[in-house]
Formats: sequence, C-alpha cells, structure tokens
Amino acid sequence: MEDTGTVVAFWIFAAITVGAAIGVAAVRNLIHSVALLIVTFAGLAGLYITLSADFIAVVQVLIYIGAIAILIIFAIVLTPRAGRHNQESFMLLPALALAALVAGTMIFVAFDTNWGAQRSEGFEGTATAIGDLLLDRYALPFEIASVLLLSAIVGAILLVRPEGPEEEAE
Amino acid sequence: MPILLRGEWYDLRDLANPVRELIDGLGLVSEVDYVLWSLIASLAILTWLVLSVLAFIWIERRVVARMQNRKGPNRVGPAGLLQPVADALKLLLKEAITTRGADRLLFWLGPVIIFIPTIVVFAVVPFGESMVLADLNVGVLFMIAVAGIMTPAVFLAGWSSNNKYAMLAAMRTIAMLISYEIIQVLALLAAVIFIGSMNLQTIVSWQDEYNTWLIFIMPLALVAYLVAGAVEINRSPMDISEAESELAAGYHTEYGGIKFGFFYQAEYLAGFAIAASATTLFFGGWTLWGLEEWIPGWLIFLGKLYAVFFVYIWSRGTLPRLRIDQLMTFAWKFMLPLMILNVLLVAAEVVIWEETGASRNVALPAIGAVNAALAAVLVIGWARFLGHGSGRGRGYSATLTREVGKIYYTGAEAS
Amino acid sequence: MTIKSEPFVVNVGPQHPSTHGVFRLRLTLDGEKIIDADMVMGYLHRSMEKLAEERTYTQNIPFTDRTDYVASMTGNLAYVMAVEKLMGIEVPERAQFLRTIMAELQRIASHSMALGIFANDCGAWQTPVMHMFRDREKILDLFEMACGARLTLNYMRIGGVSRDIPDEWIPQAQKLMEDLPKRFAEYEDLLLHNEIIVARARGVGVLTPEQAMAHSVSGPMLRGSGVAWDVRKADPYAAYDKIDFDIAVGTNGDVYDRFVVRLAEMRQSLHIIEQALEVMPGGPVHERLGTATVQPGGQSIAPLAFRPPVGEAYARIESPRGELGYYIVSDGGPSPFRFHIRAPSFINLTPLKLMAIGATVADAIVILGSVDFVVGEVDR
Repeated sequence: MEDTGTVVAFWIFAAITVGAAIGVAAVRNLIHSVALLIVTFAGLAGLYITLSADFIAVVQVLIYIGAIAILIIFAIVLTPRAGRHNQESFMLLPALALAALVAGTMIFVAFDTNWGAQRSEGFEGTATAIGDLLLDRYALPFEIASVLLLSAIVGAILLVRPEGPEEEAE
Repeated sequence: MPILLRGEWYDLRDLANPVRELIDGLGLVSEVDYVLWSLIASLAILTWLVLSVLAFIWIERRVVARMQNRKGPNRVGPAGLLQPVADALKLLLKEAITTRGADRLLFWLGPVIIFIPTIVVFAVVPFGESMVLADLNVGVLFMIAVAGIMTPAVFLAGWSSNNKYAMLAAMRTIAMLISYEIIQVLALLAAVIFIGSMNLQTIVSWQDEYNTWLIFIMPLALVAYLVAGAVEINRSPMDISEAESELAAGYHTEYGGIKFGFFYQAEYLAGFAIAASATTLFFGGWTLWGLEEWIPGWLIFLGKLYAVFFVYIWSRGTLPRLRIDQLMTFAWKFMLPLMILNVLLVAAEVVIWEETGASRNVALPAIGAVNAALAAVLVIGWARFLGHGSGRGRGYSATLTREVGKIYYTGAEAS
Repeated sequence: MTIKSEPFVVNVGPQHPSTHGVFRLRLTLDGEKIIDADMVMGYLHRSMEKLAEERTYTQNIPFTDRTDYVASMTGNLAYVMAVEKLMGIEVPERAQFLRTIMAELQRIASHSMALGIFANDCGAWQTPVMHMFRDREKILDLFEMACGARLTLNYMRIGGVSRDIPDEWIPQAQKLMEDLPKRFAEYEDLLLHNEIIVARARGVGVLTPEQAMAHSVSGPMLRGSGVAWDVRKADPYAAYDKIDFDIAVGTNGDVYDRFVVRLAEMRQSLHIIEQALEVMPGGPVHERLGTATVQPGGQSIAPLAFRPPVGEAYARIESPRGELGYYIVSDGGPSPFRFHIRAPSFINLTPLKLMAIGATVADAIVILGSVDFVVGEVDR
C-alpha cells in the first residue's frame, strides 16, 4: 500500500464503508437501513480491490449486493409485524455483547497478525488460486459448508411447507 | 495472428490506439496519462451508448411496427428518425412528479442506481483488439455482479413509489431476477470452464485462435443466457415485471418525465450489455475469421451486438407473456437442471480432451456435435418428462354441433 | 408452521390498460393469489334506458349503437326486432338476409377484436391486435359502403334496413370471404397452438355448465362451458332458419375454450355469409309502416314518429357477446313506456368472482379478457 492512488482509494472506501455501517444502525427506517447496508457492501468490495483481491471484490458485489441484501429485503417485507422501523429491541444488550465480542476478536487478530508488506504490482489473477485452494487443500471445509447450506435450504422448505397433504405450495 | 496496430494513428481498425498514441505524445506523468485515457474512453463509450439507444428506440419502433402492419414513427425528421430525440426532449421537459407518501430520497435514487450498473458493465467489454477500458481478469464475473446491482435498485424504486402495482411488480421482478441470475451464471460458467479464463479479451482471442465460436460448442448455454437476459431486460415472453396489461408499467409505474426516461434507457442499456456479453462469449467478439484484418474490429463487434439485440426486438413483437409462476417453474424445474448438467458435461469434455490430447481439429467438432445433440435430446426429453407436449399437441379446436341444449362439458382440464 | 401474509387490496381500473374501458376490479390478494374480487361498475352509465323513454322509437336506434359500440349492428337488430314484434311488422325477405349478413360480419369483426385483445392481455404486445384489426378494417369498409358509417352504424330500421347495398358490395364481400379463411388459419396456427397461450389459458377461469347456467351466462362463454345454446338455432330470427351452420362448443369451460369457440364461430359466420350471399333474393329492403301509424310528413321510409299499439315485446338475438335482448313496453304513445336491455356483457361478468378466486392477478386479467365485455353495454 505504498502508492498514493491506493492510499487515497483506501481512505475513501474506508470512510464510505464505516459511515454507511454506522448509518445502518442509526437510521430509523428499515428500508433505508438496507439501502445503507448495500452501500457498506459496495465499500467493502472497493476495499478488496485496493488489496488486489479482484475475485473476492466481484464476488462480494455479486453475493452480498445481489443476493444477501435481497434476502434481507424479503425478510423485512414479508414479515407481517416488522413495523418497517428500526425499533428498540429487547435484544439490544445481547447484540451489543456479541458485537463487542466480534470487535474484540478482530482487534486481537489485527494486532496479532504479522502484516508482512505486500507488493502492489497491479492485479494478478486470484480466481485460479482460490479455485485451486478450495478444491484441493480446503476441499473438506468447502464441502462441509455446502452440506450446511443444503441442510439449511431443506430446513427452510420444511418450515414453510403448508401443513396437510393436499395443500400444495403455489 | 495478433498484429499490433500501434504506430499508425489513422488506422481505424482500432480506434483506441490513435488516441493512446496522441496521449502518449503529450508526455504526461503516468497517473495523469492514465486518468486522461480512461476519461476519453469512458466518454467515447457513453456517447456510443446514448447514440445507440436513440437509434434503437427508432429501430425497435419501426421494426415492431413493420411486424404489426403499421408504419411506426414517420413524421419527425426524415422517416421519423428524430422521433427518439423528440421523445427525449419531451421527457426532459415534463414535470417531475413525486407520489404522495413516497420515500423522496429513495424515489429519486432509484433511477440513478439502476442506471449505474448498466453503464459500468461496458467498462470490461472488449470492443476491439485493444479497445477495452478495463481488462479485468474476472471480466465475466464482473459483468454478472454489476448487473446484479439492478436487483436492489428495482426494489428500491418499487418500494419507494408507495404504489401497490409498483410494489407487487418489484417483488415479482426481484424473485425473477434472482432465479434467472443463477441460470445466467451457470450458462457463463460452462463457457468459462471450457476456455479456462474469465478475462473477456482472452475469451475472444481463444475463439479466434481455435477458429470457432462458442455458440457452435455450447448452443444450450447461449440459449439459456439469452433467455435469462430477456428476464433481466424485461422482454417478452419474460416481461412480467412491467407486464403492461396486468400491472400498468410495473415497478416504475409512478415515475414520469426524465426519471422514467432513465428506466427506459437503463433497460436498453442492459439489453446492449446482455448482447455485448453474448457477442463476446459466444459469437467471437470482435473477430470474424480473419476479416478483422480488413474491417475494423469494433464494427464487427457492433454488428454482432446489434444482431443479438435484434432477437429481443423480434421476440417482443411476436411472443405472449408467461405467468410469473410459470416463469419461475421454467427457471427452477427446467433451466436449472439443464444448466447444471451442461456445466458437468462441459467440465467432463474439458478433462477428456486434456487426457486424450486430441488435436483441436478433432476435438472441437466432436465436442460441438455431442453438445448440440445432447442439448436437443435434453431439452425435448426434459420437457416431455415435465409433461409438456410437442408444442402443437396441447392446442385443440372447438367441437361443432347442432343439438341445441346438449352439454358437452367434460371438465378434463378443471383443476 | 405456515407463513401468513396480509391480504393486499389492489384496484385494477378504472384507469388500467386491461379493463377495456372504465371498469374497476377490486382484487384482494394473498401474495399473488386472488382471495376476493369485487366488480365496480357504473363509470360509463349514461342512463340510456331512461333517456329512451323520452325519444321516439326511431330516435332510439342510435342509442343501440352506443351500448355495445364494438358490435352496433347486432344492437340495432335486437332493438328493431323488438319494435317490429310490438307492431307486428313483417320484414321483407331481402332485408332479412341483409340483416343476417351484417350481423355475421359484425360477429367476425367483434370476435376479431376480442381475440386480439385477449392475446394482448396474454402479453403478446399489440401484434395480434394489429393483425386482427386488419380484418376488422375490411369489414368496417363494407359497413361504410352499405351505410356510410364505420362504428356507430345505425343501419337497421324498424321494418327493414336503412338502404340496399350498392352493386359493388357483393363482389367486395366475396373477395373478403375468400381472404379470411387464410387469416383464420394463421390465427389458429399462431395463437391457438402457441405454447405460451396454451399455458396461460388452459385450465384458467373454469366455469362449469351448471355455474354458467346459474349465472345466466350466454354467448361464447356459455358455449365455452360446453352448453350448445345459440339463439340463432334455438329461436331463429332474421334468415337463420334458412341457413345451414353449426354451433361451436368447448369442453372444459376455461379461458382457452372461450377462445377456440370464438375462432370456430368466426369460421361459421363466414360460412353463413357465403350461403346468404348466394341465396339472397331481390326485392325491397324496407317494409313501409302502416299508414295508420305514420305521422303527417312521414315521407321517409322510416317515419320519425309512430304509435305502436299498447303492449309489450321482448326480442332476443345472438350478439357476439351473447344473448342480447330488448324489452319494450308501449303505452300507445310515440315513445316507449319502458325500454330495457338484457345486456350480455353485464350478465356475463357476474360469474367473474367465481372464476377469479384462487387464480393469480395475471390470470384475472386473462379471464377478464376472455369475458369480452364492452363497458358501454355493461353500464348502458
């Protein structure tokens, strides 16, 4: 991260990401919150690019903006009593505790890791390397994640299936 | 084959090189040079896009009019050529109306957000040998990812309008876009596996080097991609999201004036983006079996792009619309299994080709023939399996009778 | 556990591209599924039945153009038949045949439009409509030749028709009769056997014969439900008893059957017109009304005012939309005491709720298109 361009880009994206993330928690309107969440995701994708992780950046956009955000939108719109507002919640304290835990872990990792200076000579295709690693060295975790997702899908379908043998879901 | 065309600034075979030459000649710092070059290239792409959209508004209206025994716009300018300009002016001058109870910020942002991805996609499109703004290694993925931004934008536009039609249509659109995004990704995945690169420029030169187009190797993937593309740009038979006869104008019902113009234009741009990626991936991009030595590559590219886009105009002029549940069934029960099979098939072929080490003159025709045959078998077989007839079988004519008062109802179809 | 969603009320109309006029449909939705449908009518109410009581019998003929403005020929016919019945007038043979021919031409024109707009409702953006209008235009040209008007024809007169057809009319009509079968084959090919239309229309909006009869549905909707009922056969009027034709019926009572019934009826109409053109006799086209009822100055073949005897009459015909009936009560004055229209568009809409519940919004639009109603006739 030596050249000026990357540094400038980093700070811009960092500001966008953090600012939008604060907004997500602060705004009252849930849909606005989701819109800001999308901005956060986009900012994160930008940060990945400054790290020369082109594949991760694009996947971030594809999965998070194109899918996760939509999932959240569906969850909000389809929940009958969500009230469409960022309400006070009894989950405030547990959520804070969880957030503190995550933040603590990340700070620990950040200080613990040896951030060896990476050279920055433009992009090198990372897709192939990631593919190789996923299907070779990390094949087992990859498969475990797949099985987990599959069971989640099956579970979700089972949960929303209309009861009674005759009724078929539209 | 690649001949570097640098050095001859008047060589129109590649429009980018003379510009690059000129900027290099200024002797600027490399950063400034880079920014200047990007700006000029972006501006060129934008200009082309705007002109193409204007031209195609006219072409579409004339072509569809021709299909419908009408004349189409023929009053403004010679042969109605200035009609799109007049339309654009009208949209610009119209009052900007915001619905009562609309979410003003998001209502205003909707058309802007939807407009961005449709333009940004063209950054990675290789118009010619060196005519690509950003030669990304993950170009294919970039195109899909950026097009995916449209999905939340559609929702924001529909939701912020505070209109039931818009909301209903937005939800439909999202459900549809997500379903067909998967088809799209799987279709392109097959192509990427076969070529072994996600760089669009590499994909084009691969097709040039192996003297073939991917359409001949994986026709099924192309068809799936174009169908998914029709969903993305709301063309019949997939124009559910703005089903005019059902939900007024769909998620942008409440938009008027230039905000509506943005949606309208974004739709065309998305169409061009689909056509551009189909051209690059399946039709050999800017190459034409050596003819690119004589004809400018960008002309070849544009010709192919417009030809692909014409298919969408054609379908709009001829096909009725599917119902939303039929469309979803088509995506999940018909296209998805076929696409997964297609990916597996292509992957297997790549491995077999590598293992046997067959020469390309043997391997490519063989793979193409196998894939075409399998595509036909799979499509017909799977359709039959799902209970669809041969297309003509399910239609029937009325019964003719003279016995007044007799009841012929059988209720075979009653569900 | 099931996911419950709140019912969602959507207004389709009164300004909506698919309501074919100012008609409103209030749909209560559960997701995409319709759980309730209410029709709101009356946006086009012009108080025709009351207005007609203030006008003479002849002056009322133009009103009948404007109820079902897509098929004004049949509207005219039903009304003049009711008045003729009231007055006991015999209509000359040639006029009877002309009425038959015109009514059948009107049926083709009206069904063309119905099918085109139905295809439009299925999402075939404008193309079928424009192609169907091509045929309709030719028929309207024929109307124009016969009576000078294209839409609100005002051709029928009490006692006959307003004037005889010109000499060049029959050749032009025969030429059209030669062209149309090709077009019909084209529509059958492109629409009837279109996979998407079939997918959209089969099994949608099913109306069983019992339900159809209970709601007093008539016309192609009733025949689509498989009931072979046609006023032209059941209670022949004009020259239909001298002509050979079939009733087209469906077997499933769905949207698709109404569609195929209309297509088959267009072919039958063609058949009727061909026969009628062949056997049509010469002679007068208008019966002079009895001098006793003609007012002074009654030089025209249709006198401005006359007084039918006290009584009542009901005449019914098979309009393109169904059984169109006119009920007229006379108190012996120059204008009807009571003027009532049995409007098939209105009555055919009554089972809409039955058909729409359980369907999706997209289906509702297609069902609405398959009813083929004209708001002018629904509201009158």
